[in-house]
Amino acid sequence: MVGVSLVIATLLGLPLGVLLVITGPGHIKPHPAIHSTLSIIVNIGRSLPFIILLVAIVPFTRLVVGTSIGTLGAIVPLTVSAIPFFARLVETTLLEVDSGIIEAAQAIGATTWQIIGKVLIPEAKSGLVLGITNCAVSLISYSAMAGAVGGGGLGDLAIRYGYQRFQPDVMLATVIVLVILVQGIQSLGDWMARKLNHK
Amino acid sequence: MGTAIVKFHNVTKTYRSKDQTVTALRNINLEIKRGEIFGIIGLSGAGKSTLLRSINRLEIPQSGSIIVGDTEMTTLTGKNLRLARRKIGMIFQHFNLLSSRTVYGNIAFPLEVAGTPPAEIKKRVLELAELVGLSDKLNNYPAQLSGGQKQRVGIARALANHPEILLCDEATSALDPQTTHSILQLLRDVNRRLGLTIILITHEIQVIKEICDSVAVIKNGQIIECGPVVQLFANPRTEIAREFIRTATHDKIPENLQTLIHSNPGEGNLVRIFFQGEAAKEPVITSLIRRFNLDVNILYAKLDFIQDTPFGSLIVDLNGTDDNVQTAMAYLQELGCRIEVLNGVESTTLQSAD
Repeated sequence: MVGVSLVIATLLGLPLGVLLVITGPGHIKPHPAIHSTLSIIVNIGRSLPFIILLVAIVPFTRLVVGTSIGTLGAIVPLTVSAIPFFARLVETTLLEVDSGIIEAAQAIGATTWQIIGKVLIPEAKSGLVLGITNCAVSLISYSAMAGAVGGGGLGDLAIRYGYQRFQPDVMLATVIVLVILVQGIQSLGDWMARKLNHK
Repeated sequence: MGTAIVKFHNVTKTYRSKDQTVTALRNINLEIKRGEIFGIIGLSGAGKSTLLRSINRLEIPQSGSIIVGDTEMTTLTGKNLRLARRKIGMIFQHFNLLSSRTVYGNIAFPLEVAGTPPAEIKKRVLELAELVGLSDKLNNYPAQLSGGQKQRVGIARALANHPEILLCDEATSALDPQTTHSILQLLRDVNRRLGLTIILITHEIQVIKEICDSVAVIKNGQIIECGPVVQLFANPRTEIAREFIRTATHDKIPENLQTLIHSNPGEGNLVRIFFQGEAAKEPVITSLIRRFNLDVNILYAKLDFIQDTPFGSLIVDLNGTDDNVQTAMAYLQELGCRIEVLNGVESTTLQSAD
């Protein structure tokens, strides 16, 4: 559930973030109208608490996967909430790429696509990996709420068994698993980011 | 050297912000000859960076024309602009290398951009690494290199697509004097070997003195002086140029000598003689003594070189009849020396004819 959402959110959030950056003022393809429209859409997506988004987009979820409950029904809202989140992370990371390097690429005669593919993303890849890590951790946390629509997973387990059936051992086990999972993902992300960073 | 490779015609650029308009370039007219090293010097904010960047259109002027080779740069867009830029290499003060790529990858970058076949890229990268003396650093990342080595990578990258012009944006300003010297020598070397035209901007007259053939002095967006470097040093016409030259030649009169001059006004004929080129080879002092029957007392002397041209100044005390002193000074000016009278005959500065 988290994995599928993460992959889709990365695939869609990355281009969205790139578009946000390059259309921004003073960047390689400034376009105020596109920039502010995208920014507003991203902000709307970011302003809804996940539990509200989850129920608010039920019709959309049904349209996409045919159901609004279960694991399948949880993937859609998880992805929808993660895309703008990841897009903002991408934006922040790409804005940190030294403008001098972009200027050098322009002076060399690089096209916009070449600047994105050969300069912006490679220069930011360490930061992007940390962004994906961040996104994964948030998705795990959101996925617990997906338990509310019968989304399965750890949240489901903790609420149904640990809370509703008064089984503190299940609750404790869930917490421990979550802590280990998040630690593991974060360590993996940090390690990869370090490997990719040549600054 | 010969025909012009870059021509500026009435180029003007202003920056507008909310509450003010700043004119970065005012009516610039400039010709840069093919194969020369052309220096643009000015204090920060003078507009030299804008001037340089408008050549490859990183800055877009409001009006005027900039012709590079046969191409009018100001109207180029899209693909044509990118193709024109490939023929203009550029290096930067902060190198602007891709931190995610090795030395090899950085030099290969412009070749990839130009769509060069991989086998050719490899050959060219090795060739360029050899040229800049980094053949043993190909697998290093920029973070593992010194400033001078980074600029060498920058130079190799800029030369990758066989440009006709190399733009240097304060290329040595972040380097220590020794490294600056070695980078300047490398630039001199590629200029001579490849016949590459180099246009550099700097705030250090030392850079101009060391490698430039011609120089333009820019102030408040205007070119206030322009010509061969030797001429600028020999005969600066503006105060700012004189100030730059004073720093370059360290030719401030020593303090105790200054006190001496000031404490003995009117006694003798204290003059300062600036000489350069051919005049430096003449037995000037001997002539003064023999031909004009003067007593010559040398108080201070300094000799320097602008590339291969000797350049220097003397402070001498001339004693003799007023007539003889006057004719002697006329003779010196005829030789191409510039004379500054420190006291005595006249209190004004005499200027030699150009």
